[in-house]
Amino acid sequence: MKSNLVEREQQVICAISTPPGYGGISVIRVSGADSEQVVRKIAPFLPQEVKSHSVYYGFIQSTELNPSTVKSIDEVLVLYFEEGRSFTGEKVFEIHGHGNPVLSDQILQELVKSGARIADRGEFTYRAFLNQRIDLVQAESVLDLIQSQSSSSSQMALRQLQGELSKEIEHIENAITRLLAHLEASIDFSTENLEIISQKQTLDQLQHIQKLLAQRVSEYQKGKLIREGLVVSLAGRPNVGKSSLLNMMVEQNKAIVTAIPGTTRDLIESTTVYNGQKIVFVDTAGVRTDSVDIVEKIGIEKSMESHKSADYVFFIFDLSTGITPQDEEILSGLKPENLYLLGNKSDLVSEADLESTQKLLQQSNFFKRNQLDSHWISSRLAFISTLDKKCREKLFDMIMELAFSTQKEDRAILTHARHFEKLSEALSKIESVQKMVVAKLGAEFLSQELKDSLICVQEVLGKHYDDQIVDKIFKEFCLGK
Amino acid sequence: MADLSSDSYQVIVVGAGHAGVEACLSSARLGVKTLLITTNLDRIAYMSCNPSIGGLAKGHMVREIDILGGEMGLAADETCIQYKRLNSSKGPAVRGTRVQSDKDKYSAFMTEKVLNQKNLSVIQGEVKRLVLEGSACRGVVLQDGSIIHSNTVVITTGTFMNGVMHIGLEQSPGGRVGDQATVGLSDQLRDFGFTVQRLKTGTPARLLNSSIDWSKTVPQYGDTEFFPFSLRTETFPKLKQIACFLSRTTEQTHDIIRKNLDKSPMFCGVIEGVGPRYCPSIEDKITRFADKESHQTFLEPEGLDSDLIYLQGISTSLPADVQYEFLRTIPGLENVKIVRPGYAVEYDFVEPTQIYHRLETRTISNLFLAGQINGTSGYEEAAAQGFVAGINAAHKVLNRDEFILDRDQAYIGVLIDDLVTKGTKEPYRMFTSRAEHRLVLREDNTLDRLFDISLNLKLSGSALEEKMIKLKDERQNLLSYLRSERIFPNEQTQNKILEMKSAPLLKPATYEEFLRRPEINYTDFVKKFEIPAVADPQIFEPVEIEIKYSGYIKRQLEIIDQQKRLERMNIPESTNYSDIKGLSSEERDKLSRVKPRTLGQAQRISGVNPSAIQSLMIFLKGRKKLKDLPSDNSEDRSSHGQSVETR
Repeated sequence: MKSNLVEREQQVICAISTPPGYGGISVIRVSGADSEQVVRKIAPFLPQEVKSHSVYYGFIQSTELNPSTVKSIDEVLVLYFEEGRSFTGEKVFEIHGHGNPVLSDQILQELVKSGARIADRGEFTYRAFLNQRIDLVQAESVLDLIQSQSSSSSQMALRQLQGELSKEIEHIENAITRLLAHLEASIDFSTENLEIISQKQTLDQLQHIQKLLAQRVSEYQKGKLIREGLVVSLAGRPNVGKSSLLNMMVEQNKAIVTAIPGTTRDLIESTTVYNGQKIVFVDTAGVRTDSVDIVEKIGIEKSMESHKSADYVFFIFDLSTGITPQDEEILSGLKPENLYLLGNKSDLVSEADLESTQKLLQQSNFFKRNQLDSHWISSRLAFISTLDKKCREKLFDMIMELAFSTQKEDRAILTHARHFEKLSEALSKIESVQKMVVAKLGAEFLSQELKDSLICVQEVLGKHYDDQIVDKIFKEFCLGK
Repeated sequence: MADLSSDSYQVIVVGAGHAGVEACLSSARLGVKTLLITTNLDRIAYMSCNPSIGGLAKGHMVREIDILGGEMGLAADETCIQYKRLNSSKGPAVRGTRVQSDKDKYSAFMTEKVLNQKNLSVIQGEVKRLVLEGSACRGVVLQDGSIIHSNTVVITTGTFMNGVMHIGLEQSPGGRVGDQATVGLSDQLRDFGFTVQRLKTGTPARLLNSSIDWSKTVPQYGDTEFFPFSLRTETFPKLKQIACFLSRTTEQTHDIIRKNLDKSPMFCGVIEGVGPRYCPSIEDKITRFADKESHQTFLEPEGLDSDLIYLQGISTSLPADVQYEFLRTIPGLENVKIVRPGYAVEYDFVEPTQIYHRLETRTISNLFLAGQINGTSGYEEAAAQGFVAGINAAHKVLNRDEFILDRDQAYIGVLIDDLVTKGTKEPYRMFTSRAEHRLVLREDNTLDRLFDISLNLKLSGSALEEKMIKLKDERQNLLSYLRSERIFPNEQTQNKILEMKSAPLLKPATYEEFLRRPEINYTDFVKKFEIPAVADPQIFEPVEIEIKYSGYIKRQLEIIDQQKRLERMNIPESTNYSDIKGLSSEERDKLSRVKPRTLGQAQRISGVNPSAIQSLMIFLKGRKKLKDLPSDNSEDRSSHGQSVETR
C-alpha cells in the first residue's frame, strides 16, 4: 500500500546499501527527519545526544513489547550524519553490521517495526536530489553507481560525480553563450557602433562548438561500453571451437563442448571482467545453412541478430580445414567494420599453411565484395589455439586495445542516454545554425536555433536558461547612449 | 460602491509623465471619473532625457499601445523630426521604429489631449500620503492637507520619489532640474512593509546650439521611407525632418575625465543607487573599457525651434567646470556653452515583485504602480505600464476582469511579467532578446496579434476600430489571393524567374509557394509579373514575412503551445512554500515573495532551479490526487531526470 507522494517524502526510509550476499560488512542506511527516533528503538546504546559524523558501537536489539524477550541481533557500528551534512540531506544513520544477509534482514525488519519503510530503488538519490545535495548529472551518476557491476564503471561514475563532465559541458555552454551574446548585441545595440564578430568569426566559433559537442557525443559510445559492458559475438560454422574459446575466456564450463555439429542452438551469454572492464561473450548457434531443424533455424536467426548488435564479432574458423564454402557463406552475412577473424587450432598446422590461409582469405568473395585490402587482413586476422593458455591474455588485450585505443582513460565520459540525446540535439542545432549563417538568415533566426542548442546543453547540466545572455552582453561590450 | 461626492473620483493618477498620461487617458476613456495630479502642469509628458521615442523593442511597445488605444504612437508621429527604421537590413522580427521628436511639441500635444479628455480632471499639487483604510487605498492627501477620495490610485512618480540630483559632489533634492522631489510617499510605503530601494540614472549636458561648430561634425540623416507608429496617423511626417550630428571623444577628453574621477559621485561612493548597465556614464565607459580610445556621441537637436542640443552617449555627473573642460576637447565643441550641465538622479523604487500582473500592489489593494517607480527606465516602458495600470484601475472600479497581456502576445506582456517575476536590480529596459517568442512579436504584425484583445478592450474608438478591421481584411484577402493564384512554367515565366536570379519552376506553383524562395521578395515579384496586387507595405509586409519564414514561425508557435501547458498549471496564492520539499531556502524565499500565478511563471523566477519546478509540480500533483512514487528504477529516474510533462 502506498500513501501519497508528499507524505511518502516525509517518511523514514531504510535499505541495505551494500551488495547482496555474504561479505565483510553490510551497511544499512536510514534516512529521514525522524530517523533518530526509529534507530534509537533498536540501538539503545546511542548516547543522549548523538554527534554528526561520529561512530557508536553496540548491539542492535529487537523491539519487543515484553522486555524479557528482547534479544541482541548483531554487533554493529552506527554512524550518524546530521541534516544538511548527509548524502540525502536529511538525518541519516548508517548501521554497519556483519555481512550476513540473514542478520541484515532481521535488522531491516526491526527498523520497519520501529516506523521506517523499505526505500524504493534509487529513493536515497531521489531525496538527495530533492534536497539539492546533488545536481541532475550527479543524481544520474549515483544511479549508475548503484547499478555498476564492474570497477571501471564505478570509477567512471565517480569521476562524473566530481563534476569533470559537468566542467567540460560548461565549457561548451560558455562558448555558445558568448556567441549568442554577440548575436543579440548585434540586434539590440545595432545603433551603437559595437565591434561585433564577423560572419567568418561566427562560423569559426560555430565550428569550434560543433567539434566539442561531436567529441562528447562520440564518447558516449565508449561510456555505454563501460557501463553496459563490451559485447563480443562469436560466429563460425559448427565445430570450429567457438564454445571452447568461450569457456577459455570465461574460465568456466558454460557452453557444452561436444563434437556434434549444431549443439549450440541457443545464444549463450557469458560475462567476465577483465581489468575492471565488463565483457559479455555471446556464443551463437553454429550456422548450418543446410539445416532443416526448425529449432536450429530459429537459433541461426538469433545468431544473426546477435552479430548485428554486438560491439565486435569474432569469426572463428578451423585452420586445419581452411576456408570452406560454408565459412564463406557465414562471412557473407557479416559486416567488415567490427569483424575479426580468428584462425583456430593453430597448433595443428604449419607456418606455410598459415600463409596460404591468408592468401585464401584474400581471394574470397567476402574480400572482393567489401573491397578489403591486405592491410585490413593483417590488422584483423589472428591465429589462436584454445589449448594454449597464453591465448586468453592475448585475446583480452586485443579487445581492450580495440575498445580504448581511441581514447585516453582519464577523460570523463557521457554515460546517459538522456545526455547523449540532448547533446546530439545540440550538435544538430549547431550544424543547422552553420547552414543558416551561410544562407544569410537574420540574426534573430540564428539566435533562436543557437538558444535551443544552449538549452539542450543546459538541460544536461540541470541548469535553467535565464538572463545570462543579457549579462554577457554587458560584460563584453561598451554600451550606452 | 463608487463614492461620487464632489471631491471624489473613481481613479486618481499621481504624476503626469509618460506613464501617468497613458494611465489617466485609458481610465477616463473607459468612462471612469479620473483625476490627474501633477506637481508641474507645464511638464506634462515631458521628455526629461533623450529626444527619441521608440527604438528596438521599445518601438514594438509603442505600436502595441497604439493598437490597444493608447496615445504615445500618435504623439510621436505628430512631432517627429527624424525617422529611422532600425535593423531594416536585418531580419524582420527585429526591425524597430524610432523617431526623434520635438520635445516641446510632444509635451504640448499630450497636454492638449489630457486637458480635453472627457471624464478627466487635472490639478497641480504634490501628493504627500495615501489615504488608507486598513490595507485598502481610498485616496490621497495633498501637500496642503486636503484629502481627495477615490476608489483606486495609480502612482507614476518617476524619479521624483525622494529624488536627489548629483552634480559633482553637490547634491540637491529633486527628480529633474527645475522640479521638486516628492517626499513622504515612499516612507509611507516603506512603513507599510514595502521593500523600497534606490536606483540611479543620469542625463548628459544640454548645449547651446549656436555655440557649436557644426562643420567639425558628421551629419546623420533619417530615412526617406516612413512607417508611422500609429494606425491613426494620416499624414506622416508632418514636421520638417532634420539631421543629427556625429562627433567623438578624444584622448584628451578621457585624460580630463580620468584626472577628475575623484569628483564623480559615482566613483566616490556618494551614490548608492544602481545605474543602468546599458546606459553608463562617460566616466564609467572610460574606466570599464580603458582600452577604447574614443567613444562616439550624437548631437541631437531637442526640437525645431529649440536652442538645446542633447549630447547622446555622454551622460555624466562630474562637476560643471569639469564638464566644460572635457566637452571642449570634443571636435565641434571647442567653444561650447552649456545650458544645463549633465547630472545623476537617485530615486526610490518599489521592488516590483510586490505587485500583481495587473500592476496593483499585493499589500495595499486599490493601489497601482507604473513606470520608473517599478524600476524601469525609458518613456516607452513607462507608457506601457501606465496604460495597463490605468485600464486595471478602471476595470477594478467597473468590476471587470483584470487586463493582462501574455508573453506571447505583446512586449508589454514580457515587460510586466519580467518585472513582477524577476524584479530588477538596475533600471529595466526592454530588449528584443528579453522576448523568447521574438519571431511572433514583430512590429509589422502588431495588429494581428492584438486585434481581438483590442476589440474586447474597447479603448481604440470607432475610427481606429474601423481601420483595424479594414487592414486585417486586406491582409487576409491578400493571403488568400497569393494562395489561390498560380505561376505556370512556360517560356515567358521561366525567363522572368531567371531574371530574378531564381531557379526555374519544375511544376506550377502558387504565388505563396513561390514567395517562400529566399531570393524572391514581394515587391519585385508583383512588379516583374505585373500582378495587380496591393503595393502598400502596411498590408503586404506581415503577409510576406509570415510566408517567407513560415517554418520558423510555426516552430515558435509550437513552443508557445508547449509553454502554455505550464502556464495553465495554476499555483494557488495561498500556497505555503515551506510545506514543499526539495526547495532551497533561497527558492522558498523567492517563491513566497513573487507568489507566481502559474508554474510557467515560477519557472521564470531567476534562482528557481528546474529541480524546484519539479518539486512544485510533484507538490501540485500530490495535492490533486494520490500519486505513487515510482517503484522501479527506470521510472524513478524519469521522475527527476527528465522534465515531467503533463500531457
